[in-house]
Amino acid sequence: MTERPVEVKLSGENVAGEAPAAEPETVTDDATVHDDDVELERTIGLVGGLAIGIGTMIGAGIFVFPGLAANNAGVAATLSFAIGGLIALLVALPTSELATAMPRSGGGYYFISRGMGTAYGAIVGLGLWLGLMFAAAFYLVGLGHYASAVFSELGVALPFSPVIGIGLLFGAALTAVSLGGTENTAKIQNVVVGILLVVLTGFLSYGVLDAVGVFGGGTVPEQFFSRGYFPVLTTAALVFTSYLGFAQVATVAGEIKQPGRNLPLAMVGSVLVVTVFYVVTIFVATSAFGADRLGQFGETAMVEVARDFLGLPGAVAILGAGLLATFSSANASILSASRAVYALSRDALLPRKASEINLRYGTPHVALLAAGGPILVLVATGRVELLAEVASFLHLIMYGLMCVALIVLRRRNPEWYSPSYRAPWYPVLPSVGALASFGLIAFMQPASIGIGIVVMLISYLWYRYYAGDVTLKGDI
Amino acid sequence: MTDRPSILVPIRVLEGESIPEGVPDLLANAHVVLLGYHVIPEQTAPGQAQLQFEDRATERLDEYEAIFEASGATVERRLVFTHDGQKTIDRMTTEHDCLAALVPNATGQVEDVLVAVRGAVGIDRLARVVAGVFGETDASVTLYHAAETDETDEDVATLLDGLAERLGDLGIDRSAIETRVDRNEEAFEAIIEAAEEFDTVVMGESNPSLATFVFGLPADKVATRFLGPVFVVQRGPPQETESN
Repeated sequence: MTERPVEVKLSGENVAGEAPAAEPETVTDDATVHDDDVELERTIGLVGGLAIGIGTMIGAGIFVFPGLAANNAGVAATLSFAIGGLIALLVALPTSELATAMPRSGGGYYFISRGMGTAYGAIVGLGLWLGLMFAAAFYLVGLGHYASAVFSELGVALPFSPVIGIGLLFGAALTAVSLGGTENTAKIQNVVVGILLVVLTGFLSYGVLDAVGVFGGGTVPEQFFSRGYFPVLTTAALVFTSYLGFAQVATVAGEIKQPGRNLPLAMVGSVLVVTVFYVVTIFVATSAFGADRLGQFGETAMVEVARDFLGLPGAVAILGAGLLATFSSANASILSASRAVYALSRDALLPRKASEINLRYGTPHVALLAAGGPILVLVATGRVELLAEVASFLHLIMYGLMCVALIVLRRRNPEWYSPSYRAPWYPVLPSVGALASFGLIAFMQPASIGIGIVVMLISYLWYRYYAGDVTLKGDI
Repeated sequence: MTDRPSILVPIRVLEGESIPEGVPDLLANAHVVLLGYHVIPEQTAPGQAQLQFEDRATERLDEYEAIFEASGATVERRLVFTHDGQKTIDRMTTEHDCLAALVPNATGQVEDVLVAVRGAVGIDRLARVVAGVFGETDASVTLYHAAETDETDEDVATLLDGLAERLGDLGIDRSAIETRVDRNEEAFEAIIEAAEEFDTVVMGESNPSLATFVFGLPADKVATRFLGPVFVVQRGPPQETESN
């Protein structure tokens, strides 16, 4: 992709009289060009994109879920993760196409609002913002579990459970750090992801060899579907939170260099990488202990698995990795949430003030606080599974609608729509993607579905009240 | 009369950087590529900064453009919001085919120019910058070379005389050109020391990336210790930019 015009007409204004900000004139490999010679530089490369995707995803799935998933589905939790990965891939391919056609910040919200109209966009955009908060809260609670495991490893006995307190502390710290403006966060993220992959690869290689009997440990013999078939699907719905990261890549689509090439590679690549890691991890973990004992270990089951294989050094390594991973996932989600606020306020669905930048630090303080505050409230609930499922629900709605948006756009084929990457097997792939995304929701707990629907309703009502006149749909 | 050389003038437009005194006159004969840029932290989307600061930045650039045009320069301009100032400067240099970038420091009337010649590579571009910017002024030009120990006097003479001749061809009065050679000193130290007697410095870049020169250590050294404007001449046709 070199250069191409963008022709999306926006109109209308919100209650406060703000109109959506103008769309750029052209999009090149290196910049987004507005009229009057104003450009937005693209600075995130393929490695950075992969790090955002993998860094967001790898924390939750590997470090928080094995125990919970094994408890629900037995060894077949492996299959649950595989199903999650497959659905993520089914969505990642259409998302890649949309992202190369519209490489602008905002991700799924942007594609859906331009392809299907403001109402859908508002539901998804506000839903994405809240979904990211639920996801961040979930990661922070996971971080709390890991940090308290550090205390017990050190032999410090606390009279109370420090999980939520630590989650709150880190949530506040992360918000404060992002408010203050940090240098080189992307580089740090790359390094963290690199370290994580190295630690996990070493650990898993050992684990796989052990599981197949090379070191004489052998597998714990166990029936694959020890809990039956249905829990495999409910578990897939639960652990789908592990796969929310690839869409985060699309929220910074406006900042990715050579978007036509790097966006699809980063999204599909990160899904494939984490799927392999997840599936192998669950296999190793369930092989080491069997699902029952693994389930008893709860959120920090991986530490016990590592201790079983490699003794104390293994436990320490996994503890460290778990802290890093949950930390980087939470951080990425808070930043994505503030990007979502920006995209919404740019389009006049939220007050322009919400994306205001702090003069001193250059950071979007309103958006960051608007994400950080509610996250702390959610962390305080400490409900790991509920938080994860609500986050999954809101994202799954977006994923399903992205697949629909792809079908809509391909059918109408407006002039401005010319993606440089085309998803294969149209229309089967996006149709299956949409069905799978919506279908997975059916396997969630009623409470999660209820909260998700309430969030969508509020989003819709907010749009009707605040920005009913705004039109964002592309000329299709 | 030579073609106007394109000179990139990067200004951190929202951080109070402005066009220092003397710079518009210095570039009166150049084609100025005025780059107003604003570096934002990674947690902020560039579009967010645009939303808020575009008007203010455009206003300032309007002013600066007028100042350059009043001095006689032709001006082209860009406003860029970026996470990475180096990348932006590199890209602008490539896209606008700039011969050099200016580290804009204040200066008075420019009477003498130090041209630091490091080797034969890129010497043609060096000549075009010097001739284009100073060809129609009365400034005297001193060609300076900090020689390595294994360089013979003849080598150095060939290098500097060749450049002098080229400058003559491009319209600089030969009598205004002097040459000077230093030995036994580390090249950068030598340039900085020599520069103190001059109003402005033109130097070739040593690294493939122009930006490392504008922001990196050598430029800092020259620009902070030598308080006048420094032209950093890009070595050659830009290389393929890194793909990731």
